[in-house]
Amino acid sequence: MRITSVIVAALAIAWSGLPTAAFAQQSSSAGSGNPLPQAEASPNDIEGGKMFATTCGYCHQDGGRHAGRGPKLSKSERSDEYIVERIKKGKTGAMPAYGSVFSDGQIIAILAYIRGLDD
Amino acid sequence: MTCHERYLAGCAALAVAALFAASPTHAQAPTQPQDAALNAEAAQNDWPTYHGTYKSYHYSGLDQINTGNVKNLEVAWLHFPERATRGLQSTPLALDGVLYYSGSYSRVYALDGATGKTIWAYAPELDEELVAKQTHSPYNRGIAIGHGNLYVGTVDGRLIALDLKTGKPVWDTKLLDSKRMTVGFTGAPLVVKDKVIIGAQGGEWPHRGPIFGVDGKTGQKKWEFFTVAGTEEAMKTWGGDSWRTGGGGGWMPGTYDPETNTVWWGTANPAPLYDWAGADWKKSGPRPGENLYTTSVIALDPDTGKLKFHHQELPHDAWDFDSSVGEFVMLDRGGKKLVVHANKSGYVFVYDRSNAKIENVWPLVKNINFVKSIDPKTGELIGRRDLSEGKVDPPLCPAIAGGISWNSGAYNPKNGLFYRIGQEWCMELTVEKTTPILEPMAQLNIGATFKFVPPPDGPARGHLSARDPVTGAKKWEVTYKQPPLASVLATAGNLVFVPDSEGVVHAYNADTGEELWSRNNGMGHNAGIISYMAGGKQYIAVPAGWGSLVADEFVALYGEPFKSMPKNTGALVVFALRQ
Repeated sequence: MRITSVIVAALAIAWSGLPTAAFAQQSSSAGSGNPLPQAEASPNDIEGGKMFATTCGYCHQDGGRHAGRGPKLSKSERSDEYIVERIKKGKTGAMPAYGSVFSDGQIIAILAYIRGLDD
Repeated sequence: MTCHERYLAGCAALAVAALFAASPTHAQAPTQPQDAALNAEAAQNDWPTYHGTYKSYHYSGLDQINTGNVKNLEVAWLHFPERATRGLQSTPLALDGVLYYSGSYSRVYALDGATGKTIWAYAPELDEELVAKQTHSPYNRGIAIGHGNLYVGTVDGRLIALDLKTGKPVWDTKLLDSKRMTVGFTGAPLVVKDKVIIGAQGGEWPHRGPIFGVDGKTGQKKWEFFTVAGTEEAMKTWGGDSWRTGGGGGWMPGTYDPETNTVWWGTANPAPLYDWAGADWKKSGPRPGENLYTTSVIALDPDTGKLKFHHQELPHDAWDFDSSVGEFVMLDRGGKKLVVHANKSGYVFVYDRSNAKIENVWPLVKNINFVKSIDPKTGELIGRRDLSEGKVDPPLCPAIAGGISWNSGAYNPKNGLFYRIGQEWCMELTVEKTTPILEPMAQLNIGATFKFVPPPDGPARGHLSARDPVTGAKKWEVTYKQPPLASVLATAGNLVFVPDSEGVVHAYNADTGEELWSRNNGMGHNAGIISYMAGGKQYIAVPAGWGSLVADEFVALYGEPFKSMPKNTGALVVFALRQ
C-alpha cells in the first residue's frame, strides 16, 4: 500500500536515528490494504521503546526480540497494517486492545520501534 | 451464628454433624458452610472455602479413595463450561453434595455432585469493551459461599451475590472503577462472619490495590484497605507522590484466624515492577522507600478493615516477587501457633500467628540470586541485589513467574508433611526507566524488558517436594519437565494429587512420593483440585483447561505440547472409584 504523506511524516520523526535496515523492512512489508492511522507525531508520542518497556514487554520478551507470552516481533513478516490493527484491536484472551488507550501517534511509535529491532 | 465465640468448646458436635450432611434434595439442606467445618483442619464431606478450610491445608479428610484402591479411579462425569477463554483457573467448592465452580467471564455453575447434572448456571453481563482492554482477563479463580449466597468477583470491578439455591442475583456491587484502573477482580472472595472480603488485581498496575470488606446480606461496602500507603506509617515509606501509582493489591484470597478474629492476606508487588534506583532505593528511583504494605502479609480486623499487624516479606520489592501468592497454613507446633506462607520469591516464611513475628524462613527452590539469603531469625534480606538501569548480569533468579506461583500447596496433618510446587527458572533482564501511563486508562508499568532462560543448574523445570512446613526439611521430591501450575490436594487416604501442565493428573503415596495412578485429561491444568462427598461416595474434581499468563510462557520454553494446546477450552473432570 501507499503510506499517506501524513504517516510518512510521522514515521520520519519516529524513525529518526533508526538503522537503514528498518526502512528496508518497512518497504518490503508495504503493499495494498487499509491506510495506516492518520497520526500526527509529537515529541511525546515517539518514545516507542519506552512504551514497550512500560507495557508491551510484559508479554513480548527481550524487548520484542524473543517469543514469550506473546510472539517474537523483530523481523516480523506481518505487514504494518496488520501490526497496527492488532495493537488497536487486540486478540481475545491473548492481547489487550489498545485502540482507545494509545494515540495513533503512540501506536506508530511502537510500530517504528518494532521495525527497528535487530534479532 | 455465635460459633466464633465458643469455637473451642462448642464446635465439635457441629463438626460431627457436618460429616453426615444431607443430600442436595434434603429439605433442610444447608445454604452456608458450618463454622465448625470452616475451622477444621480437614475438609470433610464439603469443600466449603477456597483453601479447603480456614486452616488452608488443601486437605480432605475423606479416605474412601486411598493408596490401596486409587488404581481404580476413573472419570465419573464431565462438565464443559462456555467461553473458557484462557482455560479454567478456578478452585471449585462443594456443599451438601452440590459442586459449584466458576469459569472465565465469571460464569458460575451449580452441579449435582454425584451426576454432574446442571442445577443452575449464571453468566453475568460484563463490560466486554473493557474486558478486551485488559491484560489479566477474563479468567476467574474462584468463588465463596456464605449467608445463603454464592459470591463471585468480576474483571470489570464488581462483586456479585447469587442465591445459592437458585443462582439468581441477590446484589451486584461496583467496587472498583475498572474503566480508569483497567483491573478488576479475578481472585476468589473470602467469607468471614457477616462479611465478604475480596482483593483487587494490582502489582504492576499503577493504583493502590485495595482490599474490600462487604456486607454479605446487603452488598454494602463496609470498609476498604489500601495496600499502598493505607496508614500514616505506610505513607512515609513512599517518596514524593509515588504512593499514588504504587501498585499493591491482594489478588488471591487470604484466610481467617477465628481465635484472634484476624484476616490474613498477602499483598502484591509495587509498581513499576523493576526499579532502577540500585542501592539508593531508599532515596531515589520511581518509588523511594520501603513501599508499605506491598509484598507483605497483613493482618486485618474483619469487622473494621483496620490493620492489626504486618510483616513485609520483601521491603522495597524490586523483583516482582509478591506475597499475594501463597496460602496461609495455620498449624500448632511445640506449643506455638504458627502460620506458614509461601512467597513468590521461592522462600517460605513461618510466622507467629499472634503477631507475624518471624519464626523461620526457608528456600523451597534452588535457583535464587535476588538475595544471598534471608535471615531465618529476623526475615532480613541479606545481600539484596538492587537493580540499576541497563542490562542485569547474571540473569535474575527466579524469573518473573516466580519460584512459587499462585497455585496452592497442601498440608497433611496426619503425617505432618507440606507439599509444594517449586519452579526453577531465571531471566535475562534489562531495566529501563518508565513513566506510569494513567490516562485514559492505567496501563502496566513494568520498567524492563526480559527473557526467560534456564537456571545455572539445569533446564527450566518444576518440582513437588514433601517437607516439614516449619523447618523445610525435605522428605521426598518429584521433578517435572515443566512446572505444574495447578494446586495440590492431600487426602486422608494418604494420597497427594498433582494436576500437571501437560494434562496428566498424578496421585502419589503421601509418605514416599511413589506414583500410584495417573490419568491424562488432554489439556493442561492451571486451576485447583478438591475432594468432596455426594450420595455417600467420594469424588475428586479438577478443572482442566490451559491458558494462564504463566502458562503462556511455556510455548517459548518448551514448544510442544504447549504450542498446539488450545487456550479457549476447558472441562471440569470428576473422578470416582470404579464400581
